Amino acid sequence: MEITTVTRDGATILSIAGRIDTATAPALEQAINKEIEGGNRKVLLNFSAVTYISSGGLRVLLATAKKLKNPGDKYALCCLAAEVHKILKLAGFTSIFSIYPSEGEALAGW
Amino acid sequence: MPGGNNTPVSLVWQPVPGATGAQHYPLIRKIDTISSNSYLIQTGDVILLIDPGGIAEQSAQLAQVIEECREEQDRPVFVFLTHAHLDHFLGTQSVPAFAHTGAAVFAVQEAGATALERGDAKLTQAALLGQAIAPVRVGLPLLTSTRSGSFGVPVSMAFSHGATVTIIREETGGGLAGERISFGPGPALDVYHTPGHSPDSICLRMGGLLFIGDVLFAANPGIAGICGWDQAALIRSLDGIKALLSDGGIEFVLPGHGRVIAAADALRMFESIRSDAVALENIAELNHERAIETAAFAEECMEQVNELFTIMAGRLYYVSYVMEELGEEDMAAEIRALIKGDVIDELLEAFRSFADEHHKGGGVSIHLALKAGQVIAKLERSFDGAQLARIIDPALVQRAARLLSDYTTMLRGFCPPRELAECDLVRHLEAQVTGLTVPACSDDDLLSSVDDDSAFAGLLLQRIGMQPLLADLAFTFSSGEKQLMVAVDHDDLTDLVTYLLEDLVGTGAAAIALRVNRDGNNAIITLAGTGCTDTGAAKSGRGFLGRLSDRAGGELSCTDDGLTREYAIRITGVI
Repeated sequence: MEITTVTRDGATILSIAGRIDTATAPALEQAINKEIEGGNRKVLLNFSAVTYISSGGLRVLLATAKKLKNPGDKYALCCLAAEVHKILKLAGFTSIFSIYPSEGEALAGW
Repeated sequence: MPGGNNTPVSLVWQPVPGATGAQHYPLIRKIDTISSNSYLIQTGDVILLIDPGGIAEQSAQLAQVIEECREEQDRPVFVFLTHAHLDHFLGTQSVPAFAHTGAAVFAVQEAGATALERGDAKLTQAALLGQAIAPVRVGLPLLTSTRSGSFGVPVSMAFSHGATVTIIREETGGGLAGERISFGPGPALDVYHTPGHSPDSICLRMGGLLFIGDVLFAANPGIAGICGWDQAALIRSLDGIKALLSDGGIEFVLPGHGRVIAAADALRMFESIRSDAVALENIAELNHERAIETAAFAEECMEQVNELFTIMAGRLYYVSYVMEELGEEDMAAEIRALIKGDVIDELLEAFRSFADEHHKGGGVSIHLALKAGQVIAKLERSFDGAQLARIIDPALVQRAARLLSDYTTMLRGFCPPRELAECDLVRHLEAQVTGLTVPACSDDDLLSSVDDDSAFAGLLLQRIGMQPLLADLAFTFSSGEKQLMVAVDHDDLTDLVTYLLEDLVGTGAAAIALRVNRDGNNAIITLAGTGCTDTGAAKSGRGFLGRLSDRAGGELSCTDDGLTREYAIRITGVI
């Protein structure tokens, strides 16, 4: 798994590529936490190159939602592949955070 | 291997209980399908090696130990096989101490001896495992038909390496045919014919030790049904071994794979194996072709298992998250504990790594099928379906349980059950989709339970955990007929339609339409998702869903243009 971090329109966008599984989920959590602890509280995860997410990965997404629930915080996912979207949808996660088709559509509302 | 009291210890010479002057040296391996355990015995008369194993390093290691024994006191060497399966002897074929004719005499039950001398790829399981074997000369065939009539009459045999053995035919109280083999004045070796796992399976006994080969595993999925397997013979053999153990005098049972077992524990295990064996009627032969088919089904199943278990774990995390938000920390922790997400992730990851290596290295199908069987058995133990179904959608939990069960069924050699029954397709689908659009717990139910804390908590959990699949998208159901009677497998059709609807939801479809129509003598179910954001890889209608469709009684096809995905299930024979 590779993570690329960029800042755009005041938001931190982490683009993740590869599998989010038992082995890689801790690295994702660490990368997100680093941004939040650095004061970046508008976090967009770009999943366009995520091919798989395990329950360990789902836990990281929920842990992030817990950290970003203050007024003014923003947290969303975008560009999900069909298989990953299905997992999030059926797990019920789409009612905790928003999922957008593209980065532009996600940031438009922030 | 941990030693307790006088439990035999691996790689150490130790006395054979109840056999004065005899010592034994177990080589206990971590269980795998490549090589068996090995056991050396030495008396003043002879050195016996039971099951030299399937890998050359192991056989070479044993040859070295034998060499050291012979330096102390030169004695003839016999190699006994509990049965002629590859993992019990293949290692000897490249080790000169065994491969050289006459250096050690092989002793195998008559059917196995014939198979080895012919280089029989089927009975040795070489064909199943994709291996080649060289013929093996068997100097001492055991329990031969020519000796079968001479009970109690000693027969002497002399060998080129200097040994002379005396064989006396006998029968145990449990009805097992046996032979007592004496190599000199020292302790004798008893050999019992215990077919079932293979026609040539034997158990060997010296003093208080009983070497049992693979009979412990003979009723296991992926093993039952292999070439030479025989259910009726296995049950008779198990009864005979149980009688032997009940007679007393045997302290330890030493299996072909796995740890040494105290006799009392082994007796309980044999009871349980017998029950398993009785249930294995009419299973298909586990040959090369079925191994390939089972391995393919294993990969398809594991893909679905991966998805379902991730969804179930995710759904629990979600419920737990909401309960935490509501200040119910204890309940949140209890909910999280209902599924071992880490264990499940590790199991699924282990299978994926194994499958990757398998495909890279051109592995053997049966190994992949068995690996999936192991993972699925552990998954079955990792979740409590009844508890989960109280919180998350019971249909999801039942589908996961059915998937695991179907795989185990196939691995055991049975076809997954297909029970076609008459059904009104219109009513069946209408009821199914209603359940997928309406919350399990209504507003009224929730409001009427507010005075009862426990009932309210239960309903609240259900409300959070059971989110209707089709609740927040435009869904339509239509039928061109009022009634459409067809023969389908009710459960499989329900699962198939759910899988397809979930797939369409995953594409981000803005609208899903389910239609049922009649086309001549066929019923056609169409499921179309429109306004998809990402349809991903196009589906073929084959693979797991195609197989499920066959079992449901239909034929699945799929079209996809990137924005719209449409599935059609054709069911022939409207009644």
